[in-house]
Amino acid sequence: MMLLARASAGLLFWAFGFSVLYGLHGIGCAYGWHTMDIAGGNLFRWVLVASWLLLCAGGAALIVLAKAAPAGLERRLSLTSAVVGCVSTFVTGVPVAVTSACV
Amino acid sequence: MNALSRHRALTAIWGSPRGWRGTVSSVNHSDIGKRFILAAFAFFAIGGVLAMLIRAQLATPGSAFVGPEIYNQLFTMHGSIMMFLFAIPMFEGLALYLLPKMLGSRDMAFPRLSAYGWWCYVFGGSILIAALALGVAPDSGWFMYTPLSSKAYTPGINADVWLLGITFVEISAVAAAIEITVSILRLRAPGMRLDRMPLLAWYLLITALMMVVAFPPLILGSILLEVERAFGWPFFDPERGGSPLLWQHLFWLFGHPEVYIIFLPAAGVVSTVLPVMARTRILGYGWIIAALLALAFLSFGLWVHHMFTTGIPHMALGFFSAASALVAVPTALQIFAWLGTLWKGRPELKLPMLYLVGFFLIFVLGGLTGVMLAMVPFDWQAHDTHFVVAHLHYVLVGGFVFPMLAGAYYWLPHFTGRARIPLLGEAAFWLILVGFNLTFFLMHLTGLLGMPRRIYTYPDDMGWTWLNLLSSVGSFIMAFGFAMFAVDVALQIYLSRRARRNPWGAHTLEWAMPVPAPAYNFASQPRVDDVEPLAADPELPLRLARGEGYLAEIRHGWRETMAVDVTSGAVDHVVILPGNTRLPIITALATGCFFLALLFGFYWLALPPLAIVVALAWRWAWTLGWRQEIGPVTIGAGETALTHREAPGAPGWWGTIFLLVADGTLLGSLLFGYAFLWVVAPNWPPPELIAAGWPQGILAGLAALAGTVLTRLAASACVAGNNASASLWSALAVGAQAIVIAALLWLGIAELPAPTGHAYAASSWAMIAYAMLHAFIALLCAAFIRARIASGHVRADRGLETSVAQLFGDYAGVATWLILACVLAPLVLT
Repeated sequence: MMLLARASAGLLFWAFGFSVLYGLHGIGCAYGWHTMDIAGGNLFRWVLVASWLLLCAGGAALIVLAKAAPAGLERRLSLTSAVVGCVSTFVTGVPVAVTSACV
Repeated sequence: MNALSRHRALTAIWGSPRGWRGTVSSVNHSDIGKRFILAAFAFFAIGGVLAMLIRAQLATPGSAFVGPEIYNQLFTMHGSIMMFLFAIPMFEGLALYLLPKMLGSRDMAFPRLSAYGWWCYVFGGSILIAALALGVAPDSGWFMYTPLSSKAYTPGINADVWLLGITFVEISAVAAAIEITVSILRLRAPGMRLDRMPLLAWYLLITALMMVVAFPPLILGSILLEVERAFGWPFFDPERGGSPLLWQHLFWLFGHPEVYIIFLPAAGVVSTVLPVMARTRILGYGWIIAALLALAFLSFGLWVHHMFTTGIPHMALGFFSAASALVAVPTALQIFAWLGTLWKGRPELKLPMLYLVGFFLIFVLGGLTGVMLAMVPFDWQAHDTHFVVAHLHYVLVGGFVFPMLAGAYYWLPHFTGRARIPLLGEAAFWLILVGFNLTFFLMHLTGLLGMPRRIYTYPDDMGWTWLNLLSSVGSFIMAFGFAMFAVDVALQIYLSRRARRNPWGAHTLEWAMPVPAPAYNFASQPRVDDVEPLAADPELPLRLARGEGYLAEIRHGWRETMAVDVTSGAVDHVVILPGNTRLPIITALATGCFFLALLFGFYWLALPPLAIVVALAWRWAWTLGWRQEIGPVTIGAGETALTHREAPGAPGWWGTIFLLVADGTLLGSLLFGYAFLWVVAPNWPPPELIAAGWPQGILAGLAALAGTVLTRLAASACVAGNNASASLWSALAVGAQAIVIAALLWLGIAELPAPTGHAYAASSWAMIAYAMLHAFIALLCAAFIRARIASGHVRADRGLETSVAQLFGDYAGVATWLILACVLAPLVLT
């Protein structure tokens, strides 16, 4: 089962991060975070962008960890999963920086 | 023992009686798989006739062929049948029939569960078809959007037929998913490491795991909507704090992965058939598996692209638009791997290959329009037009029907033992290909010209007339093609000459047996050292028939098959499978009575069949196991292994794990729904919140903790050989779970507002009902353990049942604590 666990780890991390961003988006809009100005921005943007960057860093860390998987198919799947997870976290999170908040 | 006597002895053990007795009692995977495939094709034919009626209606403007009421039923049932009664069961049938053969095994892990799933499918499907014949079929679209499907706008039983009938059918899907997962992970031939598995097994494993987590949101949504319709609990009514968008979230949480659940098995067929047709090995075995995993995960992050026009904020649309575009990457990787395989090999344009060429053409076009629809601005323009109808048919027919037709022609000699009659199949292919493109390519144009979906007629001056007429002509050409395919198959079964063994020169294990396949698959099970075992050892079929593999010895009339370590494929233990029985059909009949009672609104009458189902489940578990120790048994090659009841990690334990994963997904969806309503739905905060409830909550929480700990103590005492203590602990666990149920009921009745008043109360009650149900299941498990200790079935060396009971006890405890936290949260937060 370790093979399947390692092969899923990076993608599971993406799923977790995706859910966190979507959940924070819903909560932030519901509680008006976008109307609370902080340090040149608003609370909503700061929380979402910081979470996104942290998640990207977590995804990158998983890539480093995946290199330690046993050689062969297991390492290939672990590494691919981690790279795909990290890239997907970055790409699907881009809207937190470039789109309007709650409209 | 020579090969012929071994064949006769094994057939006597694994075969089914002739006539109706065999029909109602067989649990053999080949029988069940073939039935699934035949029934799915029959439902496909019914769905196809409905499609022709739709096209007949739309062929000309202002048509009076059918009115709007019938038309609504036609398109709703067409979609529902194709998705739930054709595509998923067809793949289940293929998996049930083929998997053990490809994995070098003799059957699936839970044969009785396969049979139960089959009967649930056929009974549930029959309810839907009977409703269609009686003119009360569902008519709110295959996605059943609220409020259209709510009581106010669909007062008849049409929507109930869908909600209850589909939920009944989905029992078979979840059962098959668990069965497929455990069978692939555990019931392979010794030596078959995960990286030596045939690619189709990888595809089916990932599909089954997707089903385990994709179907529960739909099942939950169906239950909630049925409860709203039946008892007025307002989960989806915005005036009372509900939200129609919650339904859409729950439906598409299932609905989008469903597309990949349908596509992936068919892609597995492509990855199996294409290298054989190209006379080479598949290119990029490992990369394809990586792409599969990526596809499986990403497909769960796309569901909102079905909801781009519902007013969701732009940022959320951006998340899902990006994920929808990303998913094209792993799909394209598979396409390139297949093209590379063709480039590397020497392809032969035999009939299965023709269908694969059709698949490439159609599916790639469907994928490209999918990327177009993933872009929010384009989707806003094309949403709910015939462009989307064209796209989804290019994806589903291209991505499922064409590969399955390739697979049908590829494996038909395996099913029938006969060769194909030349040319008829080729003619059918061209009719289907031309007819399909004529029908659906033109729908892109009608869609871009603004023709909405689900309209029963249109005026003459819209400019859609000739396109619609040609689409309708194309659909009839395609229908002729499918009819010709059916005739071709019938001729092959009844008139054609016998096929030689392995007619394609394939290298996977399903061809290492006589055709048609014997009931036991392999006279002895192989040892696998290569991803293409027949290429590595062409003499393997003969050696297996001579009994030179594992489990050649026939003893006690047991149905034996090998279980292996998940990753390494090393010998782990011997699984002794149950034989033919009528328990599955009887249990499915009782389950059907439960659903029918609900359908007709006889809610109290639903309780007796439910009680019968519980009693039959008890009987189901009781008939397994032994009162004495068996110890290690010989398996061949000078090796011995324990039987599954005496070895850790038996299939039953694994099946319970995946069942609880599905159950946990349902709970997660329920908690998501509660949070979603709280944050997003209108008319919140509710007029009345829970005002007290700490005593009941603390009592329920402590009793749940006690139930979990006591079940664990019972299991530990059993392992230590202390049966008296185990019996006592399990009896106390029964008591603790009873207290949980009573305390939760007290909490609900005494402290929660009435569930009909507001979605807050309804969702709180739904969570309490969930916790009570699981406490009851844990109670039954503990009671079962106590009874089995008393009967001598459970002992220190036979701990499978206690380990399963422990899993249910643990789950019930965790679920109760989570639910109490959610229900009591308003006491802290407000």
